[in-house]
Amino acid sequence: MANGTESVRTVVGDAVLPVGIAVAEGGERSESPLAQAVRRLRKSTTAVIGGLVVVILLVVALFADVLAPQSPIASDQTQTFARPSAEHPLGTDQLGRDMLSRVIHGTRISLAVGVSSVMLALFLGVPLGLIGGYYGGRTDAVIMRLMDLILAFPIYLLAIILMIMFAPTAGPIGTMKVVGAIAIVRIPIYARLVRGSVLSIREKEYIEACRALGVGDPAIFARHVLPNCLAPIIVTTTLGIATAIIVEATLSFLGLGTQPPTPSWGWDLKANVAFIQANPWLSLFPGLAIFVTVLGFNLFGDGLRDALDPRLK
Amino acid sequence: MRVYILKRLIQIVPTIIMITFVVFLMMQSIPGDPVVALLGDAYTEEDAVRAREAYGLDQPVVVQYGIWLGKLVQGDWGASILTGRPVLEDVLVRLPVTLELIVLSMGIALVIAIPAAIIGALRQNTWADYTATSVAMIGVSIPEFFVGVLLLLAFSIGLDGILPSSGWVYLPGTCPNMVCGVSFWGNMQHVLMPAVALGIGRAAILTRLLRASMLEVIRTEYVTTARAKGLSERPVVLKHALKNALIPAVTVMGLQVGFLIGGAIVVETLFAMPGLGTFGIDAIIARDYQQVQGFALITAIAFVVINLLVDLTYTFLDPRIRYA
Repeated sequence: MANGTESVRTVVGDAVLPVGIAVAEGGERSESPLAQAVRRLRKSTTAVIGGLVVVILLVVALFADVLAPQSPIASDQTQTFARPSAEHPLGTDQLGRDMLSRVIHGTRISLAVGVSSVMLALFLGVPLGLIGGYYGGRTDAVIMRLMDLILAFPIYLLAIILMIMFAPTAGPIGTMKVVGAIAIVRIPIYARLVRGSVLSIREKEYIEACRALGVGDPAIFARHVLPNCLAPIIVTTTLGIATAIIVEATLSFLGLGTQPPTPSWGWDLKANVAFIQANPWLSLFPGLAIFVTVLGFNLFGDGLRDALDPRLK
Repeated sequence: MRVYILKRLIQIVPTIIMITFVVFLMMQSIPGDPVVALLGDAYTEEDAVRAREAYGLDQPVVVQYGIWLGKLVQGDWGASILTGRPVLEDVLVRLPVTLELIVLSMGIALVIAIPAAIIGALRQNTWADYTATSVAMIGVSIPEFFVGVLLLLAFSIGLDGILPSSGWVYLPGTCPNMVCGVSFWGNMQHVLMPAVALGIGRAAILTRLLRASMLEVIRTEYVTTARAKGLSERPVVLKHALKNALIPAVTVMGLQVGFLIGGAIVVETLFAMPGLGTFGIDAIIARDYQQVQGFALITAIAFVVINLLVDLTYTFLDPRIRYA
């Protein structure tokens, strides 16, 4: 159970901190919605398992250099297509690179792209939704038509077109290009989500009261509007990371993601499908890694949704 | 009803024009000079000028777009820079393969999801429900190409290779040229694994959604009424509950179409099927602008049309929409 709480801290970040304060101050008052959510989350077995998977993956990504037995890009021509052994637990690929090390390092790209693309989409989409929903009128129309334009394309087609424009490369720059492409196709999700919530919130009397008191718009956004649409944002973000990881793996699989030699699960899977007849394990492990990662985020996201906003069920 | 369909048809025109413009602009900003792709690295300046004139590459962007759109409407989608073949012709030859894949995978998804969701909802919190929801959770998290790899391992490499790992046999009457394998069973053998690989994920999403909306619907008063008036369980579930539960499910499936198209591209690549997906990816690798444009365009238009069909499904499921 302790791990469950830890994973909550990881994802929700500072938002968890007030729980202790609220409970301590509240004394006999009923528990805060956040405390309720955390309690529900800890009770959910799937959320705890999902959270655990996410934490383990984060640790693997952070300490990939220490955990990987060998360099993920150092090739050994004498050891090509080695079967799994004590020296190479997952075998080696056609260039004699240690598969375990590649899978471990692949965690970095996968999580980095998954998390940062969603964060970028969030930082662009949430303000757009806030502004559109709050001010309405022409501003709203312009923003929403722009979002419709993105949504008029099938998500993968747009991601593919964007990657052609950015020209896929290796290394951190290559990773940033993938992050950018995935973020752009995901912006409308957050913009629409927030706009929808804001449309109902802005009609509330407490917002009118704020305006009457002369509170500025930025303060109203930050203190009153945003906190009220936080629950669906958090849930969509967690589940969105799972989707972003699949999109990254798919782009890599199609040869449009981060380019080699940077280790990427999608690319490794594709590269090794050619040798599947003689070396079936080679495509199996990167695929398995993608699956476990996505499953972890999905389980945790599902648990969060049930805990934070039962209406979304 | 007819007015509604007509209205929706007119509404997609500006969307498609918008799409053409965006596709055109994006392709314009692609790095790399098409002349290099056209003539190779060794060419003289005169060759380059002539090639630019021949393909209209020397005109301003807006003019190029105008010319392109005009030709587009007349069915001239340009010719491949590399092979010289008309793009529209190539695209239309590839389309049926992709459509077959998508339709079959949706069929597989429905055949799995509807019974699974009904069982899950009617026997909530039993082992049957837990099995359905757990399997669905796995299905949602597993990417199409990994399902494809697992199927390849099981049926092409294991089990004496009873299913082919790549290639294609056309359905009778759909062979696009003189030389291609044509046989119904051959086609089924080739399409089965790709369709399952693509269908599993959709089945999982649909099961989750449909189970949730079934759970809501079976608690409504009209279902209680249907039971109270003595209807047997079967029509209550299938006619009263399922039909209403399908409405929210269809909405979300509509949003899934974008993922379905992406999945089709991936699955085609994995199984080396001669569909639109492989056409597009090959064109991207070869930097064949004309083909990439054609691919992007037909895919985006297909997306709009499928979304329209999803909208029209509502009118069948929910008569209230017809009169709205």
